[in-house]
Amino acid sequence: MDNMIELRDINKTYPGAVPLHVLKGINLDVRKGELVSIMGASGSGKSTLLNILGILDNYDSGEYRLNGTLIKDLSENKSAEFRNKMIGFVFQSFNLINYKDAMENVALPLFYQGVSRKKRNALAMEQLDKMGLADWAHHLPSEMSGGQKQRVAIARAMITNPDIILADEPTGALDSKTSADVMEIFRKLNEDEGKTIVIVTHDPGVAEQTDRLIRISDGLIVPDNKVVIPEEQEVTKTPNS
Amino acid sequence: MKLTIFDKENWKEIATTLSRNKTRTFLTGFGIFWGVAMLTLLMGGASGGGGLLRRNFAGFATNSGAIIPNPTTIPYAGYQKGRVWSLNISDVEILRESFPAMKAIIPTYQKWDSNFKRGKYSYTGQVIGAGPDYTDIVTPKYYSGRFINDADESQERRVAAIGKNVASQLFPGDPSPLGKYIDVNGISYSVIGVIGDSSEMKLNGSMDEAVIIPASTFRRSNGYGDKVDYIMLVAKGNNDLGEQIEKMKRMIYRRHSIHPNDNGAIWDINIAEQFKQVETLFTGIDILALFIGLSTLLAGIIGIGNIMWVIVKERTQEIGIRRAIGAKPKDIIVQVLSEGAALTIIAGLAGMIFAVLILGVMQHINNPPDAVSVAQFQMTFSEAVGILATFTVLGILAGLIPSIKAMRIKPIEAINSK
Repeated sequence: MDNMIELRDINKTYPGAVPLHVLKGINLDVRKGELVSIMGASGSGKSTLLNILGILDNYDSGEYRLNGTLIKDLSENKSAEFRNKMIGFVFQSFNLINYKDAMENVALPLFYQGVSRKKRNALAMEQLDKMGLADWAHHLPSEMSGGQKQRVAIARAMITNPDIILADEPTGALDSKTSADVMEIFRKLNEDEGKTIVIVTHDPGVAEQTDRLIRISDGLIVPDNKVVIPEEQEVTKTPNS
Repeated sequence: MKLTIFDKENWKEIATTLSRNKTRTFLTGFGIFWGVAMLTLLMGGASGGGGLLRRNFAGFATNSGAIIPNPTTIPYAGYQKGRVWSLNISDVEILRESFPAMKAIIPTYQKWDSNFKRGKYSYTGQVIGAGPDYTDIVTPKYYSGRFINDADESQERRVAAIGKNVASQLFPGDPSPLGKYIDVNGISYSVIGVIGDSSEMKLNGSMDEAVIIPASTFRRSNGYGDKVDYIMLVAKGNNDLGEQIEKMKRMIYRRHSIHPNDNGAIWDINIAEQFKQVETLFTGIDILALFIGLSTLLAGIIGIGNIMWVIVKERTQEIGIRRAIGAKPKDIIVQVLSEGAALTIIAGLAGMIFAVLILGVMQHINNPPDAVSVAQFQMTFSEAVGILATFTVLGILAGLIPSIKAMRIKPIEAINSK
């Protein structure tokens, strides 16, 4: 078993006056140590898929296994614990806490594990050092550039040594030079530490730098990964089983 | 698993959050400050005010009264109405035997405008004839010597406890008149004590200006035989004095052939009844003070709840981020609650300290060293702890609803808000 992520026939419908069937039977495997990107138009179900992968949302039917653990119908406490230990998030808008300095932001996931202040700050410094931000440890997010903020966010995602890194448009708010730097960091984490990384993006340049591109369209995975021709959507209508 | 509430990070966060909007924090805190100060001041003020009023009764038995004979108003058993009758010593003895609920039944005599003389000095005041149990009703203040005792009474001694004003007039510049003699209405008495009023309540006029001699001596020197002027009464504990007086009157009416319905033949005084009304007033004031104080405090607490709600709203995104990186619901609730609790406790303690200082000044001003009793303005320790516990619990509860509402928002929606 060397799959980090296994999705089997994942369905998700948002209830409402007109129920919205967003994910219509997603099947997807991501191997351990893979660096993949997910692309899709808005409304394709891309964000919902990422939320399910990140245990931020639940699904109606199917099975999701993360590193062999079935993620289904979890209590809020259990979800929080799994998010904390298994997943590192990197967001487009960094989502750092603005009144905490870089070190405190990085250390925060360990705060929720009950790690002592001294120990978690030391570990945070270690992560910041890896990102080349040791000198910025005591700066507030507002005093840093976008690239620096995103590196702090990556350090925060890495501090619990999670099974996967989920990055949602990590370069969306950055210029091309900084984007390249950030992608370089992801690649290094993937190559040097064997970290499994899933990047959601709409930037083909970013997708190109990953091992595999997963396309999602209208709630389903588009089978042929590398060749994307609009006509191929016919294929998605063939039964999965 | 370590509790995050004890982590220094938690307290640092509270300080940061509260200091981010100083005006708002101050105004919210002021609501609590004022509520606690009001509650404490009102409770202390009611207690102290009650103490000041009660001071009037200090040194005086409140469950006491008197029965005084008057001419009859209804003809009975062959007697005309308007018959003058009097109480006597055997009445007193029978009453003492028949009424175990009474602490003291005291035959008392009184003569106004009596002349006190010593050599060239003289003074006009009243003579009271009473036994040692007279002190069961009024506690005298002793300047020197003693009151009438049992031996004085049984041996009809010619001794006198004199009021302090009498003493200073008859013995000018003499600090110890004990053992010396004074002349009361032409008869010589040895001074056994110098006494005065200890109470604001004055019974039979001021003790400062009276001469008190044994009841037995009074009867003999004034030719009273076994006659009694009036009887003073003190009931034991909380026994209903009014009920006792009614029974006594029935017994006395039978003994003196007075019509059972002759309400005018005995004039009775019941101080317990009046005191009860005053006590009811005190209780009313206490309840009112508690009610107003608690209402004010409650208004402050609602203010806290409101502000916690605003803070939670403002920080929805931050709460979402925290939950995404692993904060459990209880971590978030603890964080929000501890902010509300911290603000409540700091502002509440400040309010309490402020009120206690004011009460301390009131306590000092209203309790001069020679006051007969202490008017208690200051909180007791347990009352203070009680108030502290009340506003802390309320402050925590105030944050509970906002924090639970915060948990209802899904983490991902929270992150994307803004």
